[in-house]
Amino acid sequence: MKYLNLKIEEINKLLKEKKITPTILVEEAFENIENNKELNAYITLNKEEALKQAKELENKEVDNILFGLPIALKDNIITKGLRTTCASHILDNFIPIYNATVVEKLKSKNMIIIGKTNMDEFAMGSSSRTSYFGAPRNPWNKEKISGGSSGGSATTIAARDVLFALGSDTGGSIRQPASYTGIVGMKPTYGRVSRYGLVAFASSLDQIGPMTRNVYENAILLNAIVGKDDKDLTSAKKEEEDFTRFIGKDIKVLKLAVPNFFMSDIVNIEIRNKVKDIIKVLENNGAKVDYIDIKYIDKAMTLYQIIAMGEASSNLARFDGIRYGHSKENPENIEDVYYGTRAEGFGEEVKRRIMVGSYLLSGENAKTYYNKALSIRDDMRKELTNIFKDYDLIIGPTTTTTAYNLDDPMDDPKKSFMDDVLVIPVNMAGLPGLNIPIGFDSKHMPIGMQIIANAFEEAKIYHLASFIEKELNLKLDPKGGEHNE
Amino acid sequence: MKDKLSKEEVLHVAELARISLTEEEIEKYQIELKELLNDVEKINDVKGYDDDILIACWSENTRLRKDEAKEMLNPKDVINVAPRHSGNYIEVPVVISDGEGA
Repeated sequence: MKYLNLKIEEINKLLKEKKITPTILVEEAFENIENNKELNAYITLNKEEALKQAKELENKEVDNILFGLPIALKDNIITKGLRTTCASHILDNFIPIYNATVVEKLKSKNMIIIGKTNMDEFAMGSSSRTSYFGAPRNPWNKEKISGGSSGGSATTIAARDVLFALGSDTGGSIRQPASYTGIVGMKPTYGRVSRYGLVAFASSLDQIGPMTRNVYENAILLNAIVGKDDKDLTSAKKEEEDFTRFIGKDIKVLKLAVPNFFMSDIVNIEIRNKVKDIIKVLENNGAKVDYIDIKYIDKAMTLYQIIAMGEASSNLARFDGIRYGHSKENPENIEDVYYGTRAEGFGEEVKRRIMVGSYLLSGENAKTYYNKALSIRDDMRKELTNIFKDYDLIIGPTTTTTAYNLDDPMDDPKKSFMDDVLVIPVNMAGLPGLNIPIGFDSKHMPIGMQIIANAFEEAKIYHLASFIEKELNLKLDPKGGEHNE
Repeated sequence: MKDKLSKEEVLHVAELARISLTEEEIEKYQIELKELLNDVEKINDVKGYDDDILIACWSENTRLRKDEAKEMLNPKDVINVAPRHSGNYIEVPVVISDGEGA
């Protein structure tokens, strides 16, 4: 019996009735991971500790729906006593001394951390191929990428190893791999989830979010991780709410906007056609859909490059060979500790971005580039916020192509930004965005749709996403072998 | 527009970033960094925006922390994470020498 294939309500019932134990679920998760070892979804497994924790839970009351369930964490979310590498050589032996706030929240629900997932080094990349530990493979076709940077979390969910994973999204790193692997991935509103203990990449953009096999479970996991945190002063104070509350409701009331930019010829025709099919379905069910122009949306990638590389260069200055992580052996002097450690410890993509970022923030350049980008970003946020006066949600494709080959060339420094051209605008405006699978291309690779809401309106996104999920009823288990088309 | 940075320009940004580069890397980055820098120049095409800046999205939620002493991480644990440490100290190579070299 594969208990992790059941719905979480069913698993919860079995746990309550003592028909199964958390130990059985944890053992099953590790068996799945072992069987899917070649997918390279994990950097570190937490087997001994997870089994110990599961054993301890056996005598506890099953007090919530997430009780005893295994969860995988992207390896840039720090875990006390459990190696956290950010997929970088510079941290490949780093054992954190405290937990991220989200980790404490999961522990308070008695969820069990089973391991740390593979990713692009310091979340910089769009295919997880910049990982020091090699790229994860796409469960739908092992010769393809899983996307990035949260590629390992996407892979383990798509492969049905576990039901829950967390990723992080600075410029699309949850939604884009979710699209490539056919899973549900949510980037919450900036400030919704505490960033304390998320290794910083671009602090004004980073956000942790849930990656799951379906919409309901995604909303349930978001319920568990949100909230104001005194350790993250950008975390937002909001009334408690249940993100599942609109799931299954009628969509007649919804007004939807499709940016023309999202349906332009930068997007593969198969994907555009699939999105158009979905739009028809939505219209037939009473939703109102308009095509609109959004000012600045085509400039989002340039803003992202400046802001993300600039903030990264500043954040990654802490990796100096002195405070933690890798340090160059037998340095000649203090300069050699800095220069040598960073030369040895960082990979190519990270070095490239830190160098460009350092340049963009140096002297007068800070005004010419970074401050200017912050100004335009403010205008862009206002522009997008205005749209939500007339519309409930913005929809469109998540990616311009489906997952490409693992051995495609990596020599174009712009490629990793281009892959995220449709997901980056959301981060620029701090809005919530989600990927929902909507079908497959002619090569049987998943296609995803992006749903974007105004700030702090994640519940509306789950409303529409749950309708699409139910309406399409896709078979999204890659080992199921067949699907509806 | 020239299609690559000079060697000196690459060494300058590498110095800003505190990263030492091999000759091979310098050649590679002469082209790659130029491509990225050309890309970010596109920001100059944007006109007519106003000068307010957005430091953090939804900054109305941000606030300052009270400046007060309270229990934080255990200093011993923090020291132990450092790659070179001894007792209560983090070890680094000699920074200020007596003029005779380190």
